[in-house]
Amino acid sequence: MNTVLKVLVVLAGLFFVVMGLRWAVDPAGAAATLGMPLLEGAARSSQMADIGVFFLAGGLFIFTAVITARRSWYHVPALIMFGAAIYRLIAWLFHDAAFVVDGIAVEVIVGSLLLFAGARLARD
Amino acid sequence: MNRVGVWRFVALALALLAGPRLAAATPPNIVLVLADDLGFSDLAPYGSEIDTPTLGALAREGIRFTNYHTAASCAPTRGMLLTGVDSHRNGVPNIPETISPQQQEHANYRGTLGHNVVTVASLLQDAGYHTYMAGKWHLGQTPDLLPFRRGFERTVTMADSGADNWEQKAYIPIYPRANWYADGERTTLPGDFYSSRFLVDKMIEFIDANAADGRPFFAYLPFQAVHIPVQAPAAFRDKYQGVYDAGWTELRKQRLARARELGIVPPDAGMVTMSTTGDWASYSPEMQRYHARRMEVYAGMVDAMDHHLGRLVEHLKRIGRYQDTVFIFTSDNGSEASGGDDVRSLGMRLALRLNDYSNDYDTLGEQGSFNSIGPSFASAAAGPLAFYKFYAGEGGMRVPLIMAGAPLLLERQQTDAFAYVTDITPTILALADVSAPPGRYGGRPVEPMVGRSLLPLLRAESDRVYGPDEPIGYELAGNAALFLGDYKLVRNRPPVGDDQWHLYNIVTDPGETRDLAGQMPQRFERMQALYEQYAVDNGVLPVSPDYDQASQGVYNALKERFTPQILLLVLTFLVLLPFWLFYRYRRA
Repeated sequence: MNTVLKVLVVLAGLFFVVMGLRWAVDPAGAAATLGMPLLEGAARSSQMADIGVFFLAGGLFIFTAVITARRSWYHVPALIMFGAAIYRLIAWLFHDAAFVVDGIAVEVIVGSLLLFAGARLARD
Repeated sequence: MNRVGVWRFVALALALLAGPRLAAATPPNIVLVLADDLGFSDLAPYGSEIDTPTLGALAREGIRFTNYHTAASCAPTRGMLLTGVDSHRNGVPNIPETISPQQQEHANYRGTLGHNVVTVASLLQDAGYHTYMAGKWHLGQTPDLLPFRRGFERTVTMADSGADNWEQKAYIPIYPRANWYADGERTTLPGDFYSSRFLVDKMIEFIDANAADGRPFFAYLPFQAVHIPVQAPAAFRDKYQGVYDAGWTELRKQRLARARELGIVPPDAGMVTMSTTGDWASYSPEMQRYHARRMEVYAGMVDAMDHHLGRLVEHLKRIGRYQDTVFIFTSDNGSEASGGDDVRSLGMRLALRLNDYSNDYDTLGEQGSFNSIGPSFASAAAGPLAFYKFYAGEGGMRVPLIMAGAPLLLERQQTDAFAYVTDITPTILALADVSAPPGRYGGRPVEPMVGRSLLPLLRAESDRVYGPDEPIGYELAGNAALFLGDYKLVRNRPPVGDDQWHLYNIVTDPGETRDLAGQMPQRFERMQALYEQYAVDNGVLPVSPDYDQASQGVYNALKERFTPQILLLVLTFLVLLPFWLFYRYRRA
């Protein structure tokens, strides 16, 4: 059970690292994956930096959690996931954004997985 | 109204007051039609069994060139066609997809139309013409290189080397998508798209939009037909059921016989059998049926192109613009042999499947199918000539050229005078009474045109375009030629060529069957020296001895398409390596 859980967490981490790095080498492709255009000028700078680092940091936190087996490291990326889901809801409720149910579902599932993994796999 | 506008108004008023005399001097409309990969004998007026009534009528009313040459590949032809400047000087000595990285460092080897040349469209637009384009461009797709910025007032254009004919879909995986543009902006194709119909519809729309103002127009119509994937509507492809059951060798013989009858080639013209031509009899009846179907679809695609071109001709007649229009029809190079004759192999089918295509017999030519005719039928399509697309043999370079229209004031119906692709722009300019730029255009220096107007030849004021001692050089990816009078020096690289120079008299022997190098050593040596001079004068860069156009294309495509993925893989590995090392350290 713990091995399966660890594999799932590592896969999630890998996805986030790849996605984060993709913003550095293929920003147009990365943007298209998330359903957005690649912006121009200063907007592109912020788009690449903020979204790219969001994913990369999330992935690196997950790997840090797996390596150190400390619960707090699992909580950090979980917080990021739930935070993203909450911001999606705010965007939908108050700012005319689309209700992206797929994105919210992924973030809640991965966040919950990380919390669960923290409880099961952490040694502190 | 600005000053130019005032003068145009005054000129128009004077023309109307002057009546028929001045009106007759009004520049003609020009429709320049370019087929893609159409072989020398693929049209009925050149010996084909394919039904091409529109082009047949234009050939009957106009003039057929039997010794017209173009580059043996797409973009170099298009660059020379639209500028009258040699491909090594206009930036397009090869298609960009297959230029080696070393050559790409040179300014004239980018494979995109340089800003050191001016297009015939720009010059005609300056002279008051409406300039329209509907079709394939393949001369660059950054905003400054699209036709909308190269002299065309209205455009709908596909910027790649080819694309699907039924939908907006890349035909090979080097392109992430089919890149279509309308008036310089990305565009999407309609759901009922079929390339030849769509392009003619758009051209009619462009012409009609400005028909009321009476200004002449230049309409450039480069069809996708008959580039791979070879696709055609059922009504057209089914017309040819059974026509090719006797195979490619028989078809090539038939084309030769018909070309002889028509006087397209001399009565005693011979032909060689290409090393890439398969033995028809060695194929199973099932495979013979399959290969015949490939050619039926091809014939249907040529037929469909002719049909839709016919709609444009009829439309011009209906709106009263036919009589003052000149039609120029040609092909960008000889027939296309790629695809091979082993197209039903598992590997080929899997490769097509990965690109969301199939080449099943039952659906060949339909949407979702990928068809080609392969080297054996390509030799028949180029028949009776040797070689085909990419090669400097006559089958790669000699293509149909038909010119028609009352404003030409023709005095001939057929000519075997040598003519070259760079002659088209000077001919159009002469028709429109527009001068070529004298060394500068738009404040910058431009390359001079090297082509010549064909009008004196058409009007029987001369018998040749180039004198017997005026050389025309050519090179593309190491395949090279030099034309001098009736003779041609030619070198074709492997895998189909032997990389040796040969000498032919292409007027008496268009099939390149008798090498005269041994019989005419002085001419052979002189022409080699002239070729070397051409190469120096035009900055021809040699290809490396191991250069292979197909392999280079694959390499460039992988580099272009997959560099981000490879980089991503390497970066991911580097980022995760410390975690893995730390993990191993902890476990140890």
